[in-house]
Amino acid sequence: MARVLVQLKLRLVLNALRSSTAAQTSFILSTFFAFVVGVGGFYVLSLFRGLSASVDLTTVIFTAFALSWLILPIFAFGLDGTLDPATLQLYPLRTRPLAVGLLAASAAGAWPAANLLGLLGVTVGLAVGVLGVLVAIVAVVLQVLFCITLARLVTTSMARLLRSRRGKDLAVFLFIPIFALLELLGQVIPNAAAHGGITAASFAGVDAWMRWLPPGLAAHAIQDASHGHPGTALARLGLLAAVIIVLGWLWVRSLDRALVTADTSTGSSQLRGTALPLARYGLRGVVAARFWIYQRRDPTSLVYWAMTAVIMVVVSASTILGTAGPHKHPGVVIGSAVVGAGFVAYFHANSVGLTGPPFITEALALTGRRSLRAYFSGQNIALGVIAVPLLTAICFGLAAAVRSPAQGVPAAAVALAGLGAGLGLSNILTVTLAYPMAKRTGSPMRQAAQGFGSYTFGGMLASVAGVAVAATPVILAAAFTSTAPAAVRTPLLIICSAAYGLALAWAGVQIAAREAEGRLPELCQIAIQSTV
Amino acid sequence: MGEPAIQVRGLRKSFGPKEAVAGIDLEIAAGSLAGLVGPNGAGKTTSLSMMTGLLRPDAGKVLINGVDVWSDPPAAKAVIGVVPADVRLFERLSGAELVEYAGRLRGMPASEARARGAQLLDVLDLADDAKRLVADYSTGMRKKIALGCALIHNPQVLFLDEPLEGVDPISADVIRRLLTRLVGSGSTVLFSSHVMELVEQICDHVSIIDKGKIVATGTTAHVQGGKSLQRAFIDLVGSRASDEEVLSWLGSSSS
Repeated sequence: MARVLVQLKLRLVLNALRSSTAAQTSFILSTFFAFVVGVGGFYVLSLFRGLSASVDLTTVIFTAFALSWLILPIFAFGLDGTLDPATLQLYPLRTRPLAVGLLAASAAGAWPAANLLGLLGVTVGLAVGVLGVLVAIVAVVLQVLFCITLARLVTTSMARLLRSRRGKDLAVFLFIPIFALLELLGQVIPNAAAHGGITAASFAGVDAWMRWLPPGLAAHAIQDASHGHPGTALARLGLLAAVIIVLGWLWVRSLDRALVTADTSTGSSQLRGTALPLARYGLRGVVAARFWIYQRRDPTSLVYWAMTAVIMVVVSASTILGTAGPHKHPGVVIGSAVVGAGFVAYFHANSVGLTGPPFITEALALTGRRSLRAYFSGQNIALGVIAVPLLTAICFGLAAAVRSPAQGVPAAAVALAGLGAGLGLSNILTVTLAYPMAKRTGSPMRQAAQGFGSYTFGGMLASVAGVAVAATPVILAAAFTSTAPAAVRTPLLIICSAAYGLALAWAGVQIAAREAEGRLPELCQIAIQSTV
Repeated sequence: MGEPAIQVRGLRKSFGPKEAVAGIDLEIAAGSLAGLVGPNGAGKTTSLSMMTGLLRPDAGKVLINGVDVWSDPPAAKAVIGVVPADVRLFERLSGAELVEYAGRLRGMPASEARARGAQLLDVLDLADDAKRLVADYSTGMRKKIALGCALIHNPQVLFLDEPLEGVDPISADVIRRLLTRLVGSGSTVLFSSHVMELVEQICDHVSIIDKGKIVATGTTAHVQGGKSLQRAFIDLVGSRASDEEVLSWLGSSSS
């Protein structure tokens, strides 16, 4: 059974190489990243040799690996056929050999190999002496086994949920912490480290509680064996092995249950209201109502708002975390406002592609320039209701975080003007730079369909640059009036910026409606080509 | 025969080198329940998309109640209802919200859209699921709610692409009766289908399309020519026979 399932896993991987160019590219990139993670992990762990916080840092990395094993299978549930017990449900298989087979299938592939290779860096970075190295090898094997068993237990017990609409929504929401973590690791920590905000010593003691988690047990067992405490090391490894056995037992039980209870029902619940809001306001009102409902119920929309907030914080992070110096400037909050408004524009710059085939229902009712104006302005009203308080609150929050609360006012003014420009721009780009969106295997978020990647880049560039240009007069006005009394400057700046933003949004609606009038059939085709 | 509700002249559409619709002519009288049948890839969906203003044709003309779809799209759209084959709806609206949205998009007052929506959901046996998200609907329920959205403004001409695919027999009967009632009141229905029995039973007009061309059109009896519609269809389009002898091992008596 183990052989058959490992062959199945390898066949699935090889078939990816024979399918579409996108799948091939994705496979090659995934293998390349696995190699980078493996070699990079080995190198990073080996660098810890001699550091006072080496075991603390190793524990953090072991825990991070375990967390990624916990989260990524939920993302890749539809990608790896061997993860879903329902795919094997129809065959006459006994649970025990099936469990062994699935475990072996999990261990096959580039990522498990990369995981093993990367963690073996502890043989250089943490282990000392022959006993230390031997214990390190056993600890790494047990850590990988722990990760695999944990991932299998989670995916098997959640299989029913993950197949449902709610499970798919959950996978989309997981994008938020992953995106935040990527920004933290790729932008915030390197910047803070470069300016002295974070050093290796900052990690000392972080494993106070992590040391008692299974990854911490593995890391500390190596430390104990390397410092002449083989008994403690063996006790820790024994405890880790016991945890793996318990997880394995739970997994086999869960698998037993999953094989006879798996189904595709979604277990949906009833909503409270049945009527659409804004009944009095005609087409503009009904479109605003639809977009407003989607901003609350569609996980992708919620993820976009969360990503906007994360990006705004990241732009100001070096000033919030950094030590004194040229990189610490409270004016950076204005940069956050511009980038935030730019990303609101970018995330909604292809609303036809994002709406997908249901846009046909709307297109059949859009019978002229007037109705198109109502359509775009309704959309902007719904987005503005969320964006204005969100961006304003973040601006004031960031101004407080950089210890310059006064910067909140010009930043909020820039956000208001930028949002107006951004929403107008997103309407124009929706018509002039529309492209189909597609859901790809392995990613819960929709992306530009194959061949339209440049449109995404163009949309982002046009959105952020357009907002930056449009916000320049407000930035200049804020700079020139910085010495004016706050009681006069604050209301004037906010009101004028809001009016300026509204004018830009109005202009965007006019242009977009004029352009869309002759392009509705083409926009419908883009909507039909999109997958939701 | 009444005045034509749908007139199609020389409609053509190519996608790259492939000619999906190779110049079709069609005339459907007002008050007709017409079927458009053809094998997979014959050009049914492409033709219906061009007739409803969703896909720009390379050439040709489409008139709905005398209004040119491609010269005056707003006037044509105002009188038609469409149920596409691949029913993709606003998944994050509830059934009741979706039907109301479709009505209000058509300019109906909110109260009327709500009232008609509730009646349609009731008739389509979706009243108990009115507050559930469309994302949680089954395939058949989606077809029914899509039909509700297409009917809410009482269209003069209704286009349906495979309307009964995945619909249970009871719901299919409800849909059949709804379409018959709509036609009885003077509206026109054109739908595509693979189910010959259904077309034979309820349509008074049939057109057969193959390789982007109309190969037969007229009253159902005329197209049938004394045979079943299934037989007439196979005779016109040609059967795709294959050698089934290679499956000699298949069956209980084989080992």
